[in-house]
Amino acid sequence: MTDPSDGDPTRQTGEESPGDEPPDAKRPGADPTGGGSPGDDGPATPVEGPALPDGGSQTAADDFDDGSGDDSDPKINFYGGKWASTIPIAFFIFWAIIQSGVLGIGDTNGLVVGALIGTILGMFFVRGDWKAYADTIFEGMTQRVAATAIVAWLWAGMFAETLQVGGFVEGLIYAADALNVGAATFPAAAFVLCGLLATGIGTGYGATVAFVTLFFPAGVLIGANPVLLFAAILSGAVFGDNLAPVSDTTIVSAVTQDADIGGVVASRFKYAIMAAVPAFAAYLIMGSVLSGASLEGSAALRESATAIGLVHLISMGVVIATAVAGRHIVEAISWGLIVAVVFNLGFGLSSVADVLVFTTTEATPAAALPFVQVGETAGVGGSLYSGAIGFFPLIVLTLLIVSMAQIMIRGGGFEAIQDFLLESVATNVRRAELTMVLGTATINGMITINTAAEIAIAPYIARIGEKFNINGYRRANILDANTSALGYIFPWAGGVLVGYQVMVGPDGLGAEYGPEMVVNPIDVVPYVFHGWFLVIVFLIAAITGFGREYIPDRTSEEVSRA
Amino acid sequence: MSRFEKFLAGWSFRSSTPDYAVGDVIEVMVTGDEGDTAVARIGDSTLRIEGAPDDAVNTRVLVAVDAWDEASHAGTGTYRETVGKSAF
Repeated sequence: MTDPSDGDPTRQTGEESPGDEPPDAKRPGADPTGGGSPGDDGPATPVEGPALPDGGSQTAADDFDDGSGDDSDPKINFYGGKWASTIPIAFFIFWAIIQSGVLGIGDTNGLVVGALIGTILGMFFVRGDWKAYADTIFEGMTQRVAATAIVAWLWAGMFAETLQVGGFVEGLIYAADALNVGAATFPAAAFVLCGLLATGIGTGYGATVAFVTLFFPAGVLIGANPVLLFAAILSGAVFGDNLAPVSDTTIVSAVTQDADIGGVVASRFKYAIMAAVPAFAAYLIMGSVLSGASLEGSAALRESATAIGLVHLISMGVVIATAVAGRHIVEAISWGLIVAVVFNLGFGLSSVADVLVFTTTEATPAAALPFVQVGETAGVGGSLYSGAIGFFPLIVLTLLIVSMAQIMIRGGGFEAIQDFLLESVATNVRRAELTMVLGTATINGMITINTAAEIAIAPYIARIGEKFNINGYRRANILDANTSALGYIFPWAGGVLVGYQVMVGPDGLGAEYGPEMVVNPIDVVPYVFHGWFLVIVFLIAAITGFGREYIPDRTSEEVSRA
Repeated sequence: MSRFEKFLAGWSFRSSTPDYAVGDVIEVMVTGDEGDTAVARIGDSTLRIEGAPDDAVNTRVLVAVDAWDEASHAGTGTYRETVGKSAF
């Protein structure tokens, strides 16, 4: 490569002679399956001279005259043409906006019903036999992209919950207390510590609930500004959601863009830190500017602090280091999970039953075992159980969204939207990246459940990016940063709602401490600094080319292993 | 690429028109075609690929760069093998 700004090219072999003709090169007789594997038959086509097209003057549409790949051939015909194939997913998005944006209900199960109704609705627009439509639902659900995300979520859920029962939050509170954090610096500390927790457990929602429950009242009671403190917690959640290898959004961003999770985390560190440093400074400055609520009382919650809970920083480190080292995410989280369980039991942070418990209604000899207990209702419980099943609604929703996307692909709607974007909007690489940034931000700004929004927009990010040979790492970073950021800013965003629920619930902070402990979600919008800065970083990156990598620069190490 | 290098990758401002040298063997996504010739658009640069399969669009292929014009950021190359396909 001669471009001085080029990165680390792969397969750059200077010894190749310009005229080398591959033994398996061919055009006629192509593999009809689209595989095009080496060894296909057909004669080699002579290499022409340097009659070069003017790449600078061509529009994207000129280059993007799609071939006759399978995906471009509509297999389902709809009344109303190919645009009618977008009815299921359009209905779902409309449902999601009404449910979450208008009514403020952040219930993933509700979105599942919306997806089901949308899928049924689309069927009535199919011309002829509906079997092809039904088969496409199965075809979509069995795609590897969905299965990979589901497997990773199940492991991540078990790990996150095991850290929670192991007193990780209490350890972070201890750290804040030991560092003698005051009212003015409390929001900045909350940002860092919540970011640490979210990076460890991978769920920004979980980190928000934990911090608003335990850390938020402690901060307000010592005089921190409630609005700024809540916003700082949300910023920490954004940081972790964006960077954690076990985060649901990280996993979706990687697997949908054909990139390995460890490599994605390493490649997005630069964007995360460029937004986090000014965000930390902003919380320090605004912490001194904004006054706190006048509340009497002491930081009684410090009593729950335990230094030993900080041992789970090592559990976190095991997952991050193993994933970045290129090991499969299932292996990485499994090691982290084993270390976390050993710490929990070894240091007395939790009981065996906190991790896994079988509850029976009658006393049996088995009740002597540490993981068997007698209770009123028979069942299985513990962090492994609750952590895994916590993702079940999202898993079902994912299967439905992927199947709706497949219907759109088979019906021609996906290609129609893609062509519109490529011909009218994303006409060069800068505009393509800006389209990816703004498109992701917009759909996440509208839909409360940011992972659902991310899954819906992911195919477009993949195709638009691929049309300019933008590397999978870069595409994944654009997708996840804007998904994470917008999921915690607006009043209807899921991250804001779960935190607000802790304040206004029946036994919430407002009921316990008074109205000063309740923050109006609209007030936090301007102060979720890390979220805003992350979007700004990516807008600047798209315009300037900072961090941009192309597919020829490097390949993902373990795409097949996710 | 080492673990450390993974964190350092991409800390630069990348041109929208990358250039390649004759002899480079690069992996690209085939983004379209011009008549019988497959084309890969890399940023705003263009690489025509001779000998690619008819259904090469939206597949990732290895290409040996045969000629490159840095003024127009365009070149030609020869298809080597198909190594993957679109993420979707």
